[in-house]
Amino acid sequence: MSYRKFLKKMNRKEQSQDLEKDDPKSIDTSLTENLNIIKEKTGNSPDIIIRIISFGHDPKVRTAIIYADGLVDNPTINEYLVESMENNVQEKLHGKDPFTILSEKVVALGSVKTAKDWDSLFQSLLSGDTVILMDGKNEALIGSTKGGERRSIEQPDSEVSIRGSKEGFTESIATNISLVRRIINNPNLWVEPMNLGKQTKTDVSIMYINGIADNDTVEEVRHRLRRVNLDSILDSGYIEQVIEDESIGLFPTIIHTERPDAAAGNLLEGRIAIFVNGSPNALIVPAVMIQFFQTPEDYYMRFPISTFIRQLRVLMYLISLIGPALYVAITTYHQEMIPTGLLIIIASQTDSVPFPAIVEALIMEVTFEILREAGLRMPNKISSTISIVGALVIGQGAIQAGIVSPAMVIVVSVTAIASLATPSYDIAISARLIRFAFMLSAAIAGFYGIILGLIMLTVHLVSLRSFGVPYISPLAPFEPGNIKDTILRAPLWALNERPKFLSAKNRVRQGKNQRPQVPMSQGMVRADTKEGDKNEF
Amino acid sequence: MEKAKISASQLFILMILFQLSNSLLIPLAINAGRDSWLAIIIAMIVSIFLFSVYQALYQYYPALLPTDYMEKLIGKVFGRTLAFLYILFFLFSAARVLREFGVMLLSLAFPETPLFVMSALLILVVVYTVYKGIEVVARTGELLFVVMGLLGLFLLLLIAISGLIDISNLKPFLEEPSKVIKTAFTETLYVPFGEIIVFTMIFPYLNQARKLKKTAIFAIGTTGVILALTMALNISVLGLALTERALFPLLSTIQSIEVGEFLERVDVIFVLILVIGGFFKVSVYVYGAVIGTASLFNIKEPSRLAYPLGMVVLLLSMIVANNYPQHLQEGLKVFPLYAQLPFQVIIPVLLLIIAFFKNKKT
Repeated sequence: MSYRKFLKKMNRKEQSQDLEKDDPKSIDTSLTENLNIIKEKTGNSPDIIIRIISFGHDPKVRTAIIYADGLVDNPTINEYLVESMENNVQEKLHGKDPFTILSEKVVALGSVKTAKDWDSLFQSLLSGDTVILMDGKNEALIGSTKGGERRSIEQPDSEVSIRGSKEGFTESIATNISLVRRIINNPNLWVEPMNLGKQTKTDVSIMYINGIADNDTVEEVRHRLRRVNLDSILDSGYIEQVIEDESIGLFPTIIHTERPDAAAGNLLEGRIAIFVNGSPNALIVPAVMIQFFQTPEDYYMRFPISTFIRQLRVLMYLISLIGPALYVAITTYHQEMIPTGLLIIIASQTDSVPFPAIVEALIMEVTFEILREAGLRMPNKISSTISIVGALVIGQGAIQAGIVSPAMVIVVSVTAIASLATPSYDIAISARLIRFAFMLSAAIAGFYGIILGLIMLTVHLVSLRSFGVPYISPLAPFEPGNIKDTILRAPLWALNERPKFLSAKNRVRQGKNQRPQVPMSQGMVRADTKEGDKNEF
Repeated sequence: MEKAKISASQLFILMILFQLSNSLLIPLAINAGRDSWLAIIIAMIVSIFLFSVYQALYQYYPALLPTDYMEKLIGKVFGRTLAFLYILFFLFSAARVLREFGVMLLSLAFPETPLFVMSALLILVVVYTVYKGIEVVARTGELLFVVMGLLGLFLLLLIAISGLIDISNLKPFLEEPSKVIKTAFTETLYVPFGEIIVFTMIFPYLNQARKLKKTAIFAIGTTGVILALTMALNISVLGLALTERALFPLLSTIQSIEVGEFLERVDVIFVLILVIGGFFKVSVYVYGAVIGTASLFNIKEPSRLAYPLGMVVLLLSMIVANNYPQHLQEGLKVFPLYAQLPFQVIIPVLLLIIAFFKNKKT
């Protein structure tokens, strides 16, 4: 208790220290003074460009245009600010307020606002806006001139699609928001901006569809974001780690996507997206586990195929979890389960291997993990070397050297491919770690160990929540109405309701009779049926 | 009580898993001979009346745990003592289930592993689960229930297509009616049906109180039918003599499956059913004990009790009997008469009578 109190005291001290800084809060009337303050505060950095123009005529007013080089769109500044001001030099100023004339008549930019304090001035300046200061005025005009070099919209690397849209998010938050807006043309798509990060002052936005998203969840997201007090936010991963429910477990409780269509689909189900400037990934909350086995393309394909693929993915995840563990358990404790012929082959192979199955499995798994990590960070030019070395080492060398048995190589390879085939990297990576725990428990207690491990995993998973939503919904707690879009994917015309666990209100998604109404029944049609009849009696 | 709610379907699933658990595996009601299935059905019907007693008590105090309302009914000293005895009863029952479970595992697949290790591993998972609370237990139940159901259907299919079932093994019908009745009332009523007494600790969490009666009776009925079918199946596949002698008749039945030369040793399914069942039974008992202790001694964080009480169960399971035959003997002769009969039948009935008069006056 006393320790907590102590911490509280420390916090308070820190805050009061922040306040004690004796900086001028609001903008001065003298232009020279103001420019000095700007120069001093930015440390005379050469990329802060200050240009002084005399504006108007009789009397002339000294005006400064200030912007950060590289963050602004240069043609815009030249054309609509500098030129426009110089063209209006002849304007007679006496008797009128030059500042009003400037903002109303001269500055030809889309968005213009004013600022009176330094904080918001610097905020705008450093995010790519242009600041105009005028002598004798304690106010700044801020024109939106954001621009500069950026990556263009490309196909996402991590979520490749065959059928769906090829657009992917970029590092610019404005572009990302616009990409979603292009899909959902609806005024109810609301965006709430925020500024997080003590040093980086990163733009963060919450996006949701008003009327579909649950208000309490939106409030919860706001609340959790507001208490973020990190030094810097370099990627959405920073935000993710401080707002998620379970921060020390292995399972992701926030989903992230690079695809605008996936984000839009989730928003339409009542979820909330969080965009972070500088990150091509949108965070989506609340996430349930089954989502990590789904891709947006599932909804674009025919439903039996999507259903099959989804179940295949879950199976692959299970294989990547317990594949080697099963092999260890069977060869160590339950040999009777293997058909006799195969058992003899395996026995003759393992005969020359000096290690027990668990050691074999560990050697191979660790080798594979090393190869995989090496391949991931490798420049393309030498990655082929890795694959050759990997293939030779794992495929042949290890067997010929008598370190592992061929059957083990097959098991490890299948496991590796299965874990690579899981669509979400986040969930696949959890299996990579848990796999080792399963292998150990299989070595200790065979199937019993594996089953206990699976029960423990189930218990852990059902105890997780993501922003109040149980992680295994809608399977546990079971909601019969929402089962249609889980490891199954019912036909699109049957998905009439939004998930109940996301939003209690406004759950009707589409009209009731969306099933194609074919003019003729596909059964036997009577000869006297006229065209257009539905052959109904 | 913890702050939690479970739905009627979750309660249904928990009750079924809890009752099936080890009863699926052992030769249940085998003293009734070929008519053991009938003994099970009779015990099931009687246990519905028993449940009505529990349910009537619940109706008087729908928001209270039994350990709490006992105090209101028979005074502070007696009530708290009785509540404490109930907690001991739950712990003891959990220990007995754990022991049985461990022995089964050893005799099945791990003859050289010490019993203590096997039991300790299970208790580890149980403690972790109970620590997370009743909602997590219930949700885990929902998922594992599906697994159990699929396994059951798969087994049934395999047995059916192997052509093992011989109905004539079940005849003659009703050879000794007195034996059937005796078995039903002295054994089967207490295990597994009477064991639902521990669910009185869970009823208050139900989110729709009026659904309790229907749900529970349906669960008891389903369990009874499944158990009766299993015993009938065992006897019709193995014959009476073999079933009587088998330690685990279901295992023998599964082992006789032989489909197309390759689907032969599906014992692992048996291990799965065994572990899932054992896990649930011990978990529910330990949960009952934990939540009862917490309310009795006014402990702020019930979760913290999971670990110590789990250890108690583990140690009890080691000392509860010197060897397995002694354990079985206790289970048939001592435990039903001196523990299960009073705790499952007599005390609830007495409490109900007291509750009836107390609530009548006011």
